[in-house]
Amino acid sequence: MNTLTRMLLERLGGLLLTLFLASIVIYSAVLLTGDPIAALAGGAKPTPELIAEIRAEYHLDDPVWQRYWEWLTGAIQGDFGRSFVYKTAVTTLVAPRFAITLQLVLLTVVLILVFGVGSGILAATRGRAVDRAVATGTSLGMALPTFVVAILLIWIFAKSLGWFPVYGEGDGAWDRLWHLVLPAISLAVLFIAYISRVTRSALVAQLHSEHVDTARVRGIPRRRVFGAHVFRNASPQILAIAGTTIAGLFAASAIAEVAFGLGGIGSLLVQAAARADLPVVQIVSLLLVTIFVVLNAVADLVSALIDPTSVEGGALA
Amino acid sequence: MNRTRLAAGAVACAALLALTACTPRDSADVDGDPGELTIVDALPAGTKAVDEVTWAIAEGEPATLNPAASANLIIPNLCDNLLSLQPDFSIEPGIATSAEFVDPVTFVIELRDDVTFWDGSPVTADDVVYSLQQGMNPESQWYGAFALVVPDPATGIVATGPNEVTVHFVAPDSTFRDALAGQGGAVMQKAFGEAAGDALGTPDGGLMCTGPYELADGGWKPGSAITTTANADYWNGAPLVKTLTYTFVNDGSTLATALTQGEIDGAINVSPSSRAVFEGDGAGTLTIGHSTASYSFGPTTATGPAANPKIRQALSLAIDRDQYLQTVVNGLGYVQKTLVPEFSFQSMAEADVYQAGYDALADPEVDLEQAKQLVTDSGEDVSEPLVVAVPAGAKEFEQTATIMQAAGEKIGLDLEIDEMQASDFGALFYDPAKREGVDFVATQGYLETPGVLGYPSLFVLPAEQGGIFNWSGYDDGEVTAHMMAARNATDVEAAANEFVAAQAVYAPDQLQVTLAGTYQLTYLNDELTGVTTSVAAYSSPWALHLGGK
Repeated sequence: MNTLTRMLLERLGGLLLTLFLASIVIYSAVLLTGDPIAALAGGAKPTPELIAEIRAEYHLDDPVWQRYWEWLTGAIQGDFGRSFVYKTAVTTLVAPRFAITLQLVLLTVVLILVFGVGSGILAATRGRAVDRAVATGTSLGMALPTFVVAILLIWIFAKSLGWFPVYGEGDGAWDRLWHLVLPAISLAVLFIAYISRVTRSALVAQLHSEHVDTARVRGIPRRRVFGAHVFRNASPQILAIAGTTIAGLFAASAIAEVAFGLGGIGSLLVQAAARADLPVVQIVSLLLVTIFVVLNAVADLVSALIDPTSVEGGALA
Repeated sequence: MNRTRLAAGAVACAALLALTACTPRDSADVDGDPGELTIVDALPAGTKAVDEVTWAIAEGEPATLNPAASANLIIPNLCDNLLSLQPDFSIEPGIATSAEFVDPVTFVIELRDDVTFWDGSPVTADDVVYSLQQGMNPESQWYGAFALVVPDPATGIVATGPNEVTVHFVAPDSTFRDALAGQGGAVMQKAFGEAAGDALGTPDGGLMCTGPYELADGGWKPGSAITTTANADYWNGAPLVKTLTYTFVNDGSTLATALTQGEIDGAINVSPSSRAVFEGDGAGTLTIGHSTASYSFGPTTATGPAANPKIRQALSLAIDRDQYLQTVVNGLGYVQKTLVPEFSFQSMAEADVYQAGYDALADPEVDLEQAKQLVTDSGEDVSEPLVVAVPAGAKEFEQTATIMQAAGEKIGLDLEIDEMQASDFGALFYDPAKREGVDFVATQGYLETPGVLGYPSLFVLPAEQGGIFNWSGYDDGEVTAHMMAARNATDVEAAANEFVAAQAVYAPDQLQVTLAGTYQLTYLNDELTGVTTSVAAYSSPWALHLGGK
C-alpha cells in the first residue's frame, strides 16, 4: 500500500468518525435548544390533548438515544425526517436551496482564487509599491464584515447605479449569474484579503529559500523558476488554507443570502432555527459539517498530489 | 360588467373612509398629526391585463396554505369564504347567497349553484359540510367560532339539500355569521382534502379551492416561491393578472429596497420603520389602510403585582402614547383605548351602540402622580423586579419593553426585559411552566373578521369558558354574564348592549394594556392598482381586482 492510498483510507475513516460524532453532537444540541411543540402545532393554540397527540406522533417522549438511533438509521437510508413546519420531507426542502448556495459559493470561490491568489502573487513579485498597495487593500478588506459590504454594494450598484438586482435568485443561467454577482462579491471580499495575505507570505518564503536561489544561480529563467519551484512549493499551503476557507463559505453564505434575499441553505438554517424546525436544523447543520470535513480532506489530497512530501508534514495532521 | 360596478363601489368606499378618518374627533383621540394621513381601504380596480406580478410576503414563507390550519395573505386569493368580506369590513354574500339563523339554534346556508373548484367540478353542499367540519377540530385556527355548534359531526353540520347546509347549535351564537366571512368559512373540495390527508396545503399535498387564483400542481417550490395563476372561470369574474407569484422576504430593509427599486411589485404589512424610504422616490406608493392590529401587553401570572389591575393601570398612566406611536410605528398608528378597535365594529349592525360604548371609555393619558398613588394603593410588594417577555430580535417589541421599563422607573416599578427565542416565546402561550418567572408579555394582534366578542373573551372569561389567555385569573361575574349574554343574544341590539356593558367593566381593569392601534401598510408599484389595503386583506381575495392602471 503506497502512502497515498493509506492516506486516502485514513482520511475516509476519519471522515466517517467525524460525521458520526458530529451527528451525535448536533442531534443532542438541537434537542436542548427548544420545545418543538410550538413549531409542530403550527401557530394554533394547542390543547393538552393535542400536545399529547403531537408528542406521541413524533416520539418526543421516547428516550433520547432511541430517537437518535431511529433518526440515524433513517438518515443512512436517505430519510432525514419531515420538517415540523412544512410537514414535508426535509430532503425536498434542502435540495433546491442547496443548489443556490452551491452556485453562490462556486462564484465566490472563483472570485477568491482569481483576486486573492492573483493579488498575492502581485504583492510578492512586483516590488515594494505594489506590495504596499495590496497590503492596504487587504487590510481594508479584512476590516469589512460581509453585511457591511452587502449594504455598500446594494447602495452603490443596485440602488444608485441600478446595474444589479437587489433581491432574489433569478431564473435561467444568465439571470441567476447576474443575481449572484453582488452576493458573491460581498461574501468574497474578506476571504480575498485573507487568501491574498496567505499567498503572499507563502510565496515570499519560497522566494527566499535555498533551492530557488540555486535555480536562479543555475540560470533557469525567472518565469520557469516561479512556476516550477516557487508557486508549486507554495501551493500546498495556499490550498490547505483555501480549502478551509471555501468549506467555511457554505456557512458564511447565510449572511449574504439573508441580505440579498437568496433562498439558499444559509437562510433556510436561520429561518428553521427561529421556528424551532428541528429536523431541518439537524440536516442543514450536518450538511455543513460534512462539506467542511470533505472539502478539507480534498484540499489535503490535492496538496499531496502536487507535492507528495507534504503528506509527511503538516497536511496530514 | 360585474367588475365595473364593484370597482366603482371600491372607489366610493375608499373616498368615504378617507373622509371619516380625516374628520377630527375629540382631540385626545388622535395621534400627533392625523391630518397628514390619508386612510384608503381599497385602491381603484385595475383596468389593464398584466402577465406577471411578483408579491412579497413580509412575514416569510408560510408553513401551510390549508385555510383551516393557518392565516396568511396567500390563502385569501386561493380559497373563498362562504361570505365575502369587503375592504370596509362589511359582509356581503359570497359563495353563500344567504347565511342566516332561521331559529335561535338553527343556521341555514344557501349556496350559489354556479361556483366551481379549479378542476371544474361544482361546489356541493357536501364540500361545504366537509369544509366547515374542519373548524370543529380543536387543532383548527377557527375552533372558537364553532364552539357552540352541536359537537356530534353527524348532526351538527349537515347537508339539507343540493345547495343547502344547516348548522345546529347548542345555544344561540351571535358571532357565527361574522366568522363565515373569515377563513372559518373557507370552502375546500372534500374529495381532494380526503385524498391529501395531513399533507393538505403543504408543498406536497396542494389545495383545491374556488378562489380567483389557482395553486398549480408543483406551484409551491419550498424555499423560493409560490406561483399562482388566474382562475379564468372564477364566479366573480376572472382576475386581470395571469400569474401572481409570491416570494418571501423576512428582512425589512431588503424588502424596502426591492420594492422601491421595482424588483418586487408589492407587499402588504411593510415595516413602518422604513416609512421614509417608502415615501421617498421609488417605483411605487405607500397606502395606509384601516387595521384592527394593535400593540399591547398583559399579565402572565395570577400572583404578584402584575395580576393586580392597579399596577397595570399605573403602568398605563405612565406611558406616553404619542411618544410610543412615534418611536415604535413611526407615527403610523393611533391611540386605541381598549382591546377591541373601532374598525372591528364600524360596519356591523348597531355600530353606533358600539361606538358610543367605545367613546364612553376613558382616554389613556399620562398622570404620574395618580400612577404612583395606584402603586401605593395596590398594597403589592414591588421590591422585586417584574419580568417583561418579548420575542428576541423584533425591534418593535424591544422598543415596547424599553418604553415600559422607562415608564415603570418613573413610578417606582422595576421592570426587567427578558428577550426570548421565538420558539420559547411561542411556548409561553400554552405552557404554564414557561410563564413561571415572567410577569408581563408584550404582544401584537389583529382581528381578521368583524366582531367584538372573540378577542376579549380570550382575556376576560374564566379559562373553562374560553379565556385561554386569562392567566391573571380574572373572574368578574358581571363581565362573564354580559359577555355570555352577548354571544347568546338572538337580536343584534341586545348583543351590542350586552357587549358594551361588559366592556365598561373590564376595560378599566386593563387585562391587556393597549398601547397603540396600527394601520395596514401596503406598498404597490405605481403601474398597478386594485388591491384591498385594509386588514380585510386577511380574509378576502385582495388581489381579485389587481391589474394595470
